[in-house]
Amino acid sequence: MKNGWLILLSGILWSCSHSGTPSDIDFSKLPYKTLSEYGLFTGDLKNFSQAEGVTPYEPVSSLFTDYAFKKRYVWMPGNTHATLPDDPDAPLDFPDKTILVKHFYYPLDFRKPEGEKRVIETRLLVKNQGTWEAYPYLWNDEQTEATLKNTGASIPVSYTDKQGAKAAFNYVVPQKTQCRSCHNKNGVMLPIGPKAKQLAGQLEKWQQTGILETGKDLSAIHPLVNPFDVSRPLPERARAYLDVNCGHCHSQSGPASTSGLYYNAEEDRPFHLGVWKSPVAAGMGGGGLKFDILPGQSKASIVTYRMNSTHPGVMMPEMGRVTIHQEGVELIARWIDSL
Amino acid sequence: MRLSVLTPAVFLLLLAVSCGKKEQATSLNIEKLPKAGPEQVEKLIEQFVDAKEGSVIEIPEGYYELPTQLILDNVNGVKVKGAGMFNTVLSFKTMTTGGEGMKIAGNNILLEGFTVADAPGDNIKTQHCEGITFRQVNTTWTHGKKSENGTYGIYPVQCRNVLVEHCEVSHSRDAGIYVGQSENIIVRNNYVHQNVAGIEIENSDNAEVYDNHAENNTGGILIFNLPGLPKPFGSGTRVFNNLIKANNHENFAIFQDGNPVSMIPPGSGVVILAGDQVEVFHNKIIDNRTLGVAIASYQITDLPVPTHPGWSPYTTRIYIHDNTYERAMALPDLSKDWGKLIAAKCLRAPDILYDGILDPAKGKDAATNPMQVFVDEKTEDLRFFRMVIPDDGNVMGIRMEKDAKSFAGSYPVSTDVSMIPSNK
Repeated sequence: MKNGWLILLSGILWSCSHSGTPSDIDFSKLPYKTLSEYGLFTGDLKNFSQAEGVTPYEPVSSLFTDYAFKKRYVWMPGNTHATLPDDPDAPLDFPDKTILVKHFYYPLDFRKPEGEKRVIETRLLVKNQGTWEAYPYLWNDEQTEATLKNTGASIPVSYTDKQGAKAAFNYVVPQKTQCRSCHNKNGVMLPIGPKAKQLAGQLEKWQQTGILETGKDLSAIHPLVNPFDVSRPLPERARAYLDVNCGHCHSQSGPASTSGLYYNAEEDRPFHLGVWKSPVAAGMGGGGLKFDILPGQSKASIVTYRMNSTHPGVMMPEMGRVTIHQEGVELIARWIDSL
Repeated sequence: MRLSVLTPAVFLLLLAVSCGKKEQATSLNIEKLPKAGPEQVEKLIEQFVDAKEGSVIEIPEGYYELPTQLILDNVNGVKVKGAGMFNTVLSFKTMTTGGEGMKIAGNNILLEGFTVADAPGDNIKTQHCEGITFRQVNTTWTHGKKSENGTYGIYPVQCRNVLVEHCEVSHSRDAGIYVGQSENIIVRNNYVHQNVAGIEIENSDNAEVYDNHAENNTGGILIFNLPGLPKPFGSGTRVFNNLIKANNHENFAIFQDGNPVSMIPPGSGVVILAGDQVEVFHNKIIDNRTLGVAIASYQITDLPVPTHPGWSPYTTRIYIHDNTYERAMALPDLSKDWGKLIAAKCLRAPDILYDGILDPAKGKDAATNPMQVFVDEKTEDLRFFRMVIPDDGNVMGIRMEKDAKSFAGSYPVSTDVSMIPSNK
């Protein structure tokens, strides 16, 4: 009898903690309550060991989220593949049942990025029956599991930064409904990072492993550059930074189209980049300044003023951060001063 | 057209201007409301997150302090109903990220019977909605620090079939009720006070603004077309039967901001900027100390005039008639360039001020009315002023003509808002 009870118990435990493989996911039952149920990772969840078929990727220009470190992965069902869209600002066309995964974490000491870390949240973007859905998972204090949390949270974060200084603030996990504030093209939820211009040097590998099929010439893509690669020209660095941090919203098909200010890398009309452009509805975000960009004068430009603020009525981007990205402000200021 | 030179006489006038401040009454009394606990707040956020097509979100009486935005994310047919305009109060004063308090996307949405207060950006923004009704919604900023007030109170943008009625909107740092880049609009029976702009219709088509009470804003009702927006231009607005009273509030939009609203002089009743097909009639335009109705082209802002397909800086096809004017026993504003210009050149508040700026493609002599600006007021001693700007643009050389007769005639504007399901 004793044995039978143990078998029963282990059976229950197994069924609770079992992570199958992503191929076992029942998409009609999503979202799962916990991250481990998807089977995207093997072993201890915290180790981020991706399961077979889960491909890590990295955009060349990364969105600033309060200095959080990020790891990104894509999974597609076997024998399916992504294709390249015609619009250079659109994400890849992914097959149904694609899952995009993004961990947000802080190393305790930024000088040892692979050392001890605190994982805050993992966001999934799942394509099901043609539409993307966002599922946010919040990690527990024990760092053993992440649980679906649709209503957001505020999590105290502290770490030692690259200069050895202590940093501490309340990291804001967005609500599920806030996802579309950025993940939005003409009102439709879409991924932001996995665009061809962001995946320079990685798409060839995707092609080799069969998760990308395209007749298009990959060498014809205009890739973004790493905004903090000082060997690259300043304008390209600035535009790459603005593309990923602003352009998802500030584009003709983004929610901030209302402003007439566009920062996707393809935009080339000075007025729509903010040059000598007065704001329409900046309110206190205008800071008493006349123009979004006043060439040569970053201190008199609204763009840098808003990047350099943490007041929720002033700051841009208006969510996804509670701190100032000093290096980003510096980069854009230098660029404006050079115009 | 910068007015940097003030004559000593004007300075004397400035000293003579009284700075009497008037505060409007509101029925909002947060103190008396039960404060919602953390569970109630969390439940409310959940109701928005989980809203499905046709959901009705009822919010009981109380004061709710929200740490995060309330968002309806592309769901249709949702009704959000409070326990009454002043009984359910949603405050966003402690929120640390996200600009707007309430943010709505979806079709056939009803927002009714609650207050939204103290959002860092806009109180309620609705975008890409077809069918959006605001009814008995109050929005305000309560902290009394005007420099911390947000931009818009009620802010439908890129919407179709918009109804805003029986709402109260106060203390917005830009426009209280701002309808932007939208089509088919009714704004009626609202009370707007102590905003920079009471009601603003911008780059929008087919709008009716009537039976509103706009008092003690900087500017009462504004009809604008601004350049460089996805919806490049708007046409067809009728403004009628409104009480537009004593809109003499200090302009607390940030001075020198490029936003034209920051240039509105206190004491402005109705301002039409780069407007097309605007009819203003049967309004009571009372005690606005700087101007009753201004008809202006974008050039007057002194901002660069960009060229954008579909947009024009010129105001045209305007019809102002049968309004009632009563003038304030006060001097025109001197805090803004427009006010200084009026004070210096008109010496008193005009009922109607026309900047006389012409599209050269349409004509060269304002007295022949090439821009089709028509004025038919019954007021016997109507104060109509038309600016004549010298070719060199020198402000000091501006003359005022009082030739209302050149603009006699009519231009009835047709609007049709019958598609708005306003009687539900």
